[in-house]
Amino acid sequence: MGISFRNITKRFGDTLVVDDLSLEIDDGEFIVLLGPSGCGKTTTLRMLAGLEQTSSGEICIGGERINDVPTQHRDLAMVFQSYALYPHMTIAENIGYPLRVRKVERSERAARVKKVASMLEIEGLLERKPRQLSGGERQRVALARAIIREPRAYLMDEPLSNLDARLRVQMRGELKRLQHQLKTTTIYVTHDQAEAMTLAHRVAVMSKGRLQQFDSPMNIYERPANRFVAEFVGSPSMNFIEGLIDFESREFNGAGITIGLSENQMQVLSGRSAQVIVGVRPEHMSIHSTPAPGALAARVYVTELMGNETFVFLTIDKQKLIARAPAEFRAEEESDVWLQFVNEKLHFFSSATHERIG
Amino acid sequence: MSAMKRTAKYLILFLALLVAIAPIYWMLTISLKTEADQFASPPRWIAFTPTLSHYYDAFVERSFGQYLVTSALVAVLSTAAALVIGTLAAYALARFRLPFDLDQKLSLWILSTRMFPAIVTAIPLFLMMRDLQLLNTRLSLVIVYTGFNLPFVVWMMRGFFAELPRDLEEAAMVDGDSRLGALRRVVLPLVAPGLAATAVFCLIVSWNEFLFALVLTQTDAAMTLPVGIAGRVTQYEIKWGVMSAAGAVAIVPILVFALAVQKYLVRGLSLGAVKG
Repeated sequence: MGISFRNITKRFGDTLVVDDLSLEIDDGEFIVLLGPSGCGKTTTLRMLAGLEQTSSGEICIGGERINDVPTQHRDLAMVFQSYALYPHMTIAENIGYPLRVRKVERSERAARVKKVASMLEIEGLLERKPRQLSGGERQRVALARAIIREPRAYLMDEPLSNLDARLRVQMRGELKRLQHQLKTTTIYVTHDQAEAMTLAHRVAVMSKGRLQQFDSPMNIYERPANRFVAEFVGSPSMNFIEGLIDFESREFNGAGITIGLSENQMQVLSGRSAQVIVGVRPEHMSIHSTPAPGALAARVYVTELMGNETFVFLTIDKQKLIARAPAEFRAEEESDVWLQFVNEKLHFFSSATHERIG
Repeated sequence: MSAMKRTAKYLILFLALLVAIAPIYWMLTISLKTEADQFASPPRWIAFTPTLSHYYDAFVERSFGQYLVTSALVAVLSTAAALVIGTLAAYALARFRLPFDLDQKLSLWILSTRMFPAIVTAIPLFLMMRDLQLLNTRLSLVIVYTGFNLPFVVWMMRGFFAELPRDLEEAAMVDGDSRLGALRRVVLPLVAPGLAATAVFCLIVSWNEFLFALVLTQTDAAMTLPVGIAGRVTQYEIKWGVMSAAGAVAIVPILVFALAVQKYLVRGLSLGAVKG
């Protein structure tokens, strides 16, 4: 069902944890709340679950205001970061718990437990206790307990963060498949941008309690709304160069770097403050070992071989930059190279507000 | 060196055991000896003719059977009441933040009721019970022991609840359970060892309590074992045999209960010390 957050604010004492958050989530959407720790994303999820009270604002599910509806009547299912499996119950009892409290008959309960268990390939574990399971298995049990009902929405609080890297990627894929099958609105909290990019229909990026951008993963990546989003999404991070636009010569000058700008870019920038921050993603830079027309001289600080590509850390005067180079790129530390930007892929942010200009 | 250490260790353990067991051994033998054997010098440690006459005297001729029933009823009922009320209070104090730090202040205030000597409350309690016409009733003892055990239950259980991650109850509530349902189905089973340990302590305290029982009850119908036993010390004679026989029987119920919940007792007392 659709979910609306309307001007939600949450204070813990004097600290503002969520600041005037508004989100309209459509039925069946997979939404990721993305942000660093302490940005208010988990608190937002907990307010939706009814585990925290809102300080002000409205939360609606399917058009119904639920601020004063107690947790157990909100008809949601949640997967906790800690999984929160009941240690004294068997796996079957854990998965069947939401049905047991709803007084579903024992035989039907058993049948439905079997069904979700086979969906998640944990039929063999039903008689065990949670402490006898591995992290990945516990994760599946927590998921099974959530999907045994058909709630109005699934809430997931960093469900994959306790898994090792390989398992995390595998479960990520399974989660995506699961949501395609179930088509139930899902709100997913994470600080992992890879999970956000791969899973979400739309991503809500948060920082310091404020919503920064709410858009599709591609738009978040290609048109970040401000410097925070640009820096947080993408690995390695976007490079930022502070400097001035010279409207006469149609170029950007900053930190010893001069970049010529196109007609389009000048149009977007015209009438604005000359003070800007230019953002450039590491993949929008190319490195040459010999001087090329329009290329900037740079010095190699260090290179990191990733196997499928190489990260090159460069310096131009005091400005530090990271570029992505092909796997076979090799350069000595302190050697000279020449750097070219893909000019049409540059991002411009206001120096004063850090908001996107173009 | 290590052999010496070990010998020393066992020697100390043996001495400690001796100190603990000697009085019980003495009481048991006296309860089985004729009065002539009781005062024989040198004492007859093992070689004496056992007799059950003191047991007969205590439980058939006299009302010790009734005292035993009273003690058991009062101990069990007051423990049950203290556990129910105290556990609910402890859960609330562990989980809810009250304005003005009231949850912290209330907890300390509850504990403070244990900080003055019991005798201070004996007289007011006597007067109150008299006005309520509850003197010489078992109910008066149940009420007093419940009140006396409550702070202990609240503090023990509050600690156990605080150790338990909130996630579990929250998960239960999101799964559709009410808070009380989550408490019953998820939280209480997990603190069961702590609950058992707390129950044992309450039982022992109520079972052994002497002062309030002496002040509030004087009739056979409401008297507990400790008061009944002490009552055999009179101006004219001291019935060592009868007292020992009653004492020996008084040990049994607590011993049996403690053995039955021993598994939980050890886990309960170390609950939270190590992550399970």
